[in-house]
Amino acid sequence: MKKFMFVTLITVLILSAVSCAPAAAPEEEVVVEEAAEEVVEEAAVEDVEPIKIGWTGALTGDQAVWGTAEKNGVMLTVEQINAAGGILGRPVEMVYYDGKGEQLEYINALKRLIYEDEVVAVIGQNSSGNQIAMAPIAEEGKVPIISTFATNPRVTVPEEGVLMRYTYRVCFIDPYSGEVTAKFAWEDLGAKKAAVLYEISSDYSVGVRDYFKKAWLELGGTIVADEAFKTGDVDFRPQLTSIKEADPDVIVMPFLFKEVALSAKQARELGITATMLGGDGWPSLQLLEIAGEAVEGSYYIDHADVKAPSVVKFRADYKDKYDKEVEILSLMGHDAFMLLKAAIEKAGVAESEAIRDALEGISDVEVLTGTINIDPDTHNPVGKAAVIIKIENGEFVFYKTFEPMQ
Amino acid sequence: MILQQIINGISIGAVYAMIAVGYSLVYSVMNFSNFAHGEVLMLGAYAGFFAMTSLGLPLGLSIGLAMLGGGIIAVTIEKIGYSRLRKRQASSLYFMITAMGFSVFLQNFAIVTIGPNFRSYPDVFPITPYLLGNIAIGRLDVVIFLITIIALSLLTWFIYGTKIGTAIRATSYNPKVASLMGINPDLVIAIVFFLAGATAGLGGVLFGIKYTVYAWMGVLTIKAFIAAVVGGLGSLPGAVLGAFVLGITETFAAGYVSSSFRDLFSFALMVIIIVLRPGGLLGTVTQEKA
Repeated sequence: MKKFMFVTLITVLILSAVSCAPAAAPEEEVVVEEAAEEVVEEAAVEDVEPIKIGWTGALTGDQAVWGTAEKNGVMLTVEQINAAGGILGRPVEMVYYDGKGEQLEYINALKRLIYEDEVVAVIGQNSSGNQIAMAPIAEEGKVPIISTFATNPRVTVPEEGVLMRYTYRVCFIDPYSGEVTAKFAWEDLGAKKAAVLYEISSDYSVGVRDYFKKAWLELGGTIVADEAFKTGDVDFRPQLTSIKEADPDVIVMPFLFKEVALSAKQARELGITATMLGGDGWPSLQLLEIAGEAVEGSYYIDHADVKAPSVVKFRADYKDKYDKEVEILSLMGHDAFMLLKAAIEKAGVAESEAIRDALEGISDVEVLTGTINIDPDTHNPVGKAAVIIKIENGEFVFYKTFEPMQ
Repeated sequence: MILQQIINGISIGAVYAMIAVGYSLVYSVMNFSNFAHGEVLMLGAYAGFFAMTSLGLPLGLSIGLAMLGGGIIAVTIEKIGYSRLRKRQASSLYFMITAMGFSVFLQNFAIVTIGPNFRSYPDVFPITPYLLGNIAIGRLDVVIFLITIIALSLLTWFIYGTKIGTAIRATSYNPKVASLMGINPDLVIAIVFFLAGATAGLGGVLFGIKYTVYAWMGVLTIKAFIAAVVGGLGSLPGAVLGAFVLGITETFAAGYVSSSFRDLFSFALMVIIIVLRPGGLLGTVTQEKA
C-alpha cells in the first residue's frame, strides 16, 4: 500500500509542476526569417551584411494570439523598412524564437539570440513577468532589449535606485494605468464602490490592482471586494459570488482576455450587473468571440485605438499581408522597432553598445501610438496617453483619450 | 451566500464527476492511473465543437459523436500503447509513464494541427440564470447536472446490471481467475477503455460549453484525478462522491478563506484522505499486486 501512496503522491507532484507550466510545448521551432532576401536587389543594398535583430514572444501556448500579432507587426515593419532601403543602407534580418509564454524558454531564447545569433538588439516581450526574468540576461550580454507591452514598473527599475541599463519599453506603466482606471471609474462612470478580481500569479495583474486600489482610495472610493485567482483557472464563481454579495458599482479586472471572457460570462450567469472595467490585457478579438454579450458595455484602458486615423495605412497593409485584423500588439511591435531604428540612426552604427547609448534620452520618435521620449532615469516613455475603449455591439469602440503619463 | 456557494460547488463537482469516473474505471481493471484521459477529453471536446460548428449538427448528435470519438481514441491508445505492456506484464509505473507520453504527444499534436487558439461553443443556452430569490442557477449547470446524473446512472446500470458489466467487475477483482472462467480480458479492457473514453468525450463537450476549448485543457483533469483519489480510485460511486466533495471544498476555500489558496486546499484534502484512509473515501484497501 505504501508503494501505491508513494507513486500517487509523486505523480501528483510531477503533474502539478507540469500543470503550472502548461506542457504545451511542441518541438522548439527555430526560424530565421529571411524577410530581407527578396528586397535586397531592389533596394540596392547588395554585399552589405544585414543588421540582425532578435525577437521573442509566445507563438504557442496561452499567449500565442498576442505573440503572433506582435511578431506579424514587427515582420511587416521590417519588410517595409527593407523595401525603403533598410537602416543605414543595410537590410534588417529578424531572428525569432518562440518563448511559449514560459520564463525559462525566454531566458534560453534570449541567450541564444545574444550569444549564438549575435543580434545587435532584441525586441521584447509583452509580459512583465517574463521581461523581468530576461532583463539580467540582457545586462550580462550587453544587448539592448525593447519591451513592447511589459507595463510593470519593475521591468526597468527593479527596485528604488536601480536601473536596468539595457532594458527599455514603449508602453506606459501600471501606476499610470491603475490611476487612469480609478479616475475613469470615479469621474466618468460615477462609481463609488469597486470590487477587484485579479490574477495573483501575474506581476502585471497584481501591479495594476495595487495601483488602482491606492488611487481609488485617494479619490474617496471604497473597495468592497478584493478577490484573487490563479493562472490557468477556469472557474471564478466562488470569487464572483463574494463579489456579488458586496454589490459593487464596478468590477476591476486587470488580467488577460481568456480569463476575462470566462469570468465575465460567469459573472453574468450569477446575475452580476456591475460595469466591468479592464486593462490592456483585454484587447483581443478572442475576447469578443468567447465572451460574446457578457462583456457588452464594458470598458478597458489601452495604449492606442487600433482604428485611429494614424493607423489606417498600417492596418490596411497588415490586413493585406496576413488577412487578419491588426491588434494592439502589432502596433506595439511596430513602435518598438521604429524606436530601435531611430536609435540606430542616431548612433550612426549598428552596434549594441552604441544603440544603448542612443536610446538613452532619445526623444520625439513618431510612432503609431504617439510620440516616444525615453526618460533616462526610468527608461519609460514619457507622455504616452491611455485611451478608453468601450465594447459596444460586439466591437471595440474608441471612447476617449486620457491625459498623458507624467 | 452559503447556498449559492454550495450550488457553485455542485456545478463544478458535476463536471469533475464525469471525468473522475473515467480515471476510476480504468484504474479498477488495469490498476494504473491513465493520465492520457485528459487528452481524450480534449479531443472529444474538439470533436463535439467541430461537429457543431463545421458540420452544423445539433447538440445531442454532437455529444454522441464526441462520445464515440472519445471511445475510439481511448481504445486506440490502449491498443497501441498499453496492450503491449500488458502482454509483457509490465509494472503499473510503466503504464503511467506511457500514459504521460501519450498525454504530451496528443496535446502537442492538437496545438500543431488545430492551433493554439481558444474555441468557444456556439451559445447553446442563454446566459440569463434561473433565479431563486437571490440565488442564481445557470441554465447550463442544470443541464450539465442532469446529463451527468443520467450518464452516471446508465454507466452504473451497465456495470452492475449487464453480463458484460459482470465480466468487467470480475476482471477487476481478479483478471486471472476471470479469464479462466472464459472471460476474454482483451475484450473487457477494450470495453472499459471505450466507456472511459466516451465519458471523457461527454465530459469534454460539457466542459467546452461551460468554459472553452483549447489544446491543453486536459491539464485541468488533474482535479478530477484528485477527486477520484479522494473518493477511492477504482470505485465509481467513490469517484462521484469525491468529485462533489472536492468541488464544494474548493468553492468554500475560495469563497470564505482566500481564493488564492484554493488549490492548496484541493491538494491538502487529497493528502489528508490518503493518510487517513489510504483507499479513499469509498475505496477498499487492496493489497498491492506484485
